Amino acid sequence: MTNSINDLLARHTLIFTIVVVIFSLFITFFSEPYGNGLISTSFVKTLGKTVCLCIIALAMDVVWGYCGILSLGHFAFFGLGGYMIGMWLMYERTAIIVQEAATNELLPLTETELSNAIGNQIFGVVGGYDIPSIWMFADSLGLQLILVIAVPGILAFIFGWLAFRSRVTGVYLSILTQALTLALSLYLFQNDSGLRGNNGLSGLQNIPGIEYLGQEIISIGFFWASCIFLIFIFLLFHSLMKSKFGLIITSIRDNETRVRFLGYNVEIYKLFIFVLTAIISSIAGALYYPQAGIINPAELAPIASIYLAVWVAIGGRGKLYGAIIGAAFVSLFSSWFTGGQAPDIPLGIFTIEWVNWWTVLLGFGFVIITIFSENGIIGFLRNIFVKEK
Amino acid sequence: MNTLLKVEKISVSFDGFKAINNLSYSIGKNELKAIIGPNGAGKTTFMDIITGQTKPDEGKVLFGERSVWLESDQKYQVVWDENLLMKSESQIALLGIGRKFQRPTVFELKTVFENLFISMKKNRNPFSVLFQKLNRDEKNLIENILGEISLKNEQDRIAGELSHGQKQWLEIGMLLTQEPKLLLIDEPAAGMTSNERRQTVEILKKLSADKSVIVVEHDMEFVKDLECEVTVLHEGSILSEGSIEHVSSNNEVIEVYLGR
Repeated sequence: MTNSINDLLARHTLIFTIVVVIFSLFITFFSEPYGNGLISTSFVKTLGKTVCLCIIALAMDVVWGYCGILSLGHFAFFGLGGYMIGMWLMYERTAIIVQEAATNELLPLTETELSNAIGNQIFGVVGGYDIPSIWMFADSLGLQLILVIAVPGILAFIFGWLAFRSRVTGVYLSILTQALTLALSLYLFQNDSGLRGNNGLSGLQNIPGIEYLGQEIISIGFFWASCIFLIFIFLLFHSLMKSKFGLIITSIRDNETRVRFLGYNVEIYKLFIFVLTAIISSIAGALYYPQAGIINPAELAPIASIYLAVWVAIGGRGKLYGAIIGAAFVSLFSSWFTGGQAPDIPLGIFTIEWVNWWTVLLGFGFVIITIFSENGIIGFLRNIFVKEK
Repeated sequence: MNTLLKVEKISVSFDGFKAINNLSYSIGKNELKAIIGPNGAGKTTFMDIITGQTKPDEGKVLFGERSVWLESDQKYQVVWDENLLMKSESQIALLGIGRKFQRPTVFELKTVFENLFISMKKNRNPFSVLFQKLNRDEKNLIENILGEISLKNEQDRIAGELSHGQKQWLEIGMLLTQEPKLLLIDEPAAGMTSNERRQTVEILKKLSADKSVIVVEHDMEFVKDLECEVTVLHEGSILSEGSIEHVSSNNEVIEVYLGR
């Protein structure tokens, strides 16, 4: 590779970093606490969440667009990350509330009373006050953060190891990942899953210890954290995919057998990518749900992972930009249309209500983009660009 | 001469069809051998078995003969380093068996140079690969190989744009950067012009200077140019073995080849 190409690539990531930083500063200077309030706190949250979705789209692009594994389960890892951080948020906040309420009592609460009170607050809704053993680390932020990485990491490792070792590929692997997601989601729907069944975890926007800051400041904080993590992941994936390792990953996508006959242990490589992207998805989820405020098992349903694949396909898989553009574009449009802000179109006897018709539009868009451009929006733009040249 | 690969009495059948029937075969170090046979003779299955893609129903495949001095018996004893049937494709490749497929199989979306870079002999562990960079020696090695396979001027081209013959060479070049001990080459001359064929013969002969090479072909003319020992396969077993003159004067061989 010549130096000029290296320079260009270095500039590529630099441009991306600058764009994201300028975007974040722009949002900050128009936000409620730090600017003129042109951008509402709820919109800052929407943008922060969108950035998290861009991160998981990057992970999806690497596992699918680069490595050729069409996983329909990465959103489950995203959700798991949300649950893991949500457990600490909910437990700690409930503990603070319970203790505050108890300050008026004559005697301080015993350990058991405290535990029962917290349990009753959190699990009363599913008819119980025992704190399940999976919440044993919930009082420690550090341990729950480790779980954000460990739980999806171990799950992805076991699943990936079994699936790749048996040489399950293509559509069969997609079906397996979808089954895993469905199983996980159905399990979480049960009241005795220990994670409040279909109620999920709520109140996650209140961060224990810093609640006094107010949502408008916390939302900016999470927005920045998401943007910085996005830059970090982009740089990580960019350098990874440009390296020899990346060459082998895309070679596995293009011709797995050949790579195997060159002496590479294809299964280990796939497992590496699968686990890495699962962990990154989970961290993205851990950043997303405190901004969303609530997580329930429906978030983990297979349809979410399918949407994820659609974003990446619309944006353009096999290019990191494509994933980000696809996720940002589709999820922002989606929240605009389903949020009731889009004007309905009256057609005399029939009115197109976007809340319901958005998925139809998305479906059409998906079909049209994939027909006209195999590589999504990115490929479409590049076609135009190359023709002009 | 030390034997590099020994195949003993292997048989394999697919749904009752005997693709390989009680076949024994061996090749020495730095030897060039050819296997010919009509379609369906079991040539590709034979390669699949050696490279670990197909497991035989019975028989042995041993790789890497070594003489060991036995103190107790005061004599040399022959030992085999590896039983290939216990290994996966990638492990077999790492032992030093390279394979060229029947249809040229290169990474079409990558440049010629990248194709050779990926196949280069280096630690294949993903954690090691993460930090591997191309150094000057390796770059020189790749450039030498580019010269050997006449693709020096094409090194920055996307492999998918190459002609059929050039892809065949690129695949041979990928085997070379792999630095194998044994090369299995499936129909190298398929779809080549007569000029390219001549060059391919040269490349293969040069290879056998320090590697063992098994060439599988069904084109008698090409095999004749290789000037090596020939094995004729038919219905999964060996019909005849020897020089090309010996083999082509065998009545059974003539019947198999011309009788159809």
